[in-house]
Amino acid sequence: MCWGLIARMMRDAIPALSPMGAAGLTQLWLRGGAKAARFARSSSRMRGVVLDRPDAWESLLVAANAGDARAFGRFLVAVTPTIRAVVRARGQGMDADSHEDIVQDVLIAIHLKRHTWQPDRPLRPWLYAVARHKVVDAFRRRGSSVHLPVEDFADVLADDRVSDPSAQLDAAAVLARIDARSAMIVRAIEIDGATPADVGAQLSMTDGAVRVALHRAMRKLSDLVRGGVG
Amino acid sequence: MTPGHKNTADVIASLALAPVPRPWRPDMVATVLLVTAGLGVAVYLWMMGLRPGLGASLKDPVTLAKVVLPLMVMGLALPAAVRLARPEERPALWPLALPLVAGLALVAVVAAATPVAAVGTAVMGGTMVKCLTSILGLSALPLAVALALVRQGAPTRPVLAGALCGLSVGAGAAAGYALGCAEDSPLFFVTWYGAAIGIVSAAGAVGGKAALRW
Repeated sequence: MCWGLIARMMRDAIPALSPMGAAGLTQLWLRGGAKAARFARSSSRMRGVVLDRPDAWESLLVAANAGDARAFGRFLVAVTPTIRAVVRARGQGMDADSHEDIVQDVLIAIHLKRHTWQPDRPLRPWLYAVARHKVVDAFRRRGSSVHLPVEDFADVLADDRVSDPSAQLDAAAVLARIDARSAMIVRAIEIDGATPADVGAQLSMTDGAVRVALHRAMRKLSDLVRGGVG
Repeated sequence: MTPGHKNTADVIASLALAPVPRPWRPDMVATVLLVTAGLGVAVYLWMMGLRPGLGASLKDPVTLAKVVLPLMVMGLALPAAVRLARPEERPALWPLALPLVAGLALVAVVAAATPVAAVGTAVMGGTMVKCLTSILGLSALPLAVALALVRQGAPTRPVLAGALCGLSVGAGAAAGYALGCAEDSPLFFVTWYGAAIGIVSAAGAVGGKAALRW
């Protein structure tokens, strides 16, 4: 009698668990708590007010996963511009056909994995995770570097020496326009032929830091030249 | 669009008409895994026999830890592995450190109370080879099943998802094996159960890298 009362009190106190009993507990165990889901849902809804309507995307995908082919077609059409924008932003220096191939890869992945989206969770994190995975994978397979900060490549960056003599002259002329330390690094390596290690010893910088500084300075110089300054 | 490249609108049209994939059911995945691992352990114990005096030995908290710690690892790693099958999920992994710390603390306490000369013998025990081969053998099939099931999902961290599959399967196998194993020194069981679970996790990571691509 006493246990029945306690059980009833607990059931009232934990409404989320009581209706399903053991099944509910299993659910909680496997999903790692409802708090995170609620937070994610509310934050996505707040973003959704500002951006376009993810609720529309969500209801389209709900209908699609229930077997509505037209809804799935509309869903794919609706998300394609977003995916195309992500692919373009990441794949600069790649031609439009490759971009469109990757967009199609992402769309196919969305179809093949659409059953892993849970209708009670926000759609966007799921969609972006799928898109990101396929985009990174596609660029890796195509041997093109995914966008990463230049520091990660400090040791891999080739000494980008200027091969065209007239460009060297232009570079020398425009050196005055960048800061003194960068100019010194460029002059020492590109014009005097010193190694990054030599320059690093002189400036008490690491070899890698010199390469990064050189790379940045060269990019700045070429921007200046291209901008019609030189 | 150059010839040889499909039009995106055509791709969308054909995808819209493609059959809907079956829903992803994490509770089914967990159930199938538990049943697979449980059946393997049951057959193994039926063939090899439970340890003598199992009920009485489990009254000793240290011996109980031999079963409970791997069960804890399994109980924490399995949901994390299943959740990682969804692309956007990032389950917290720090709780997995708790059983590890508990096991290492147990080793430290017992090692401190053991004469230095006896520590080596206690670690090596008498059934190390049987322990390793049994746990690895009990894990092989459930690990393959786990990877095949998680593959139906969309894991975006394949190596981690595979490692967690291995961790939960290896820990489950170790907990089952503990019911037949009569070596009760934490110096033995934390070391070799831990090593076996670690090997299965590494195999899961390697398998995940290969099998969980999509």
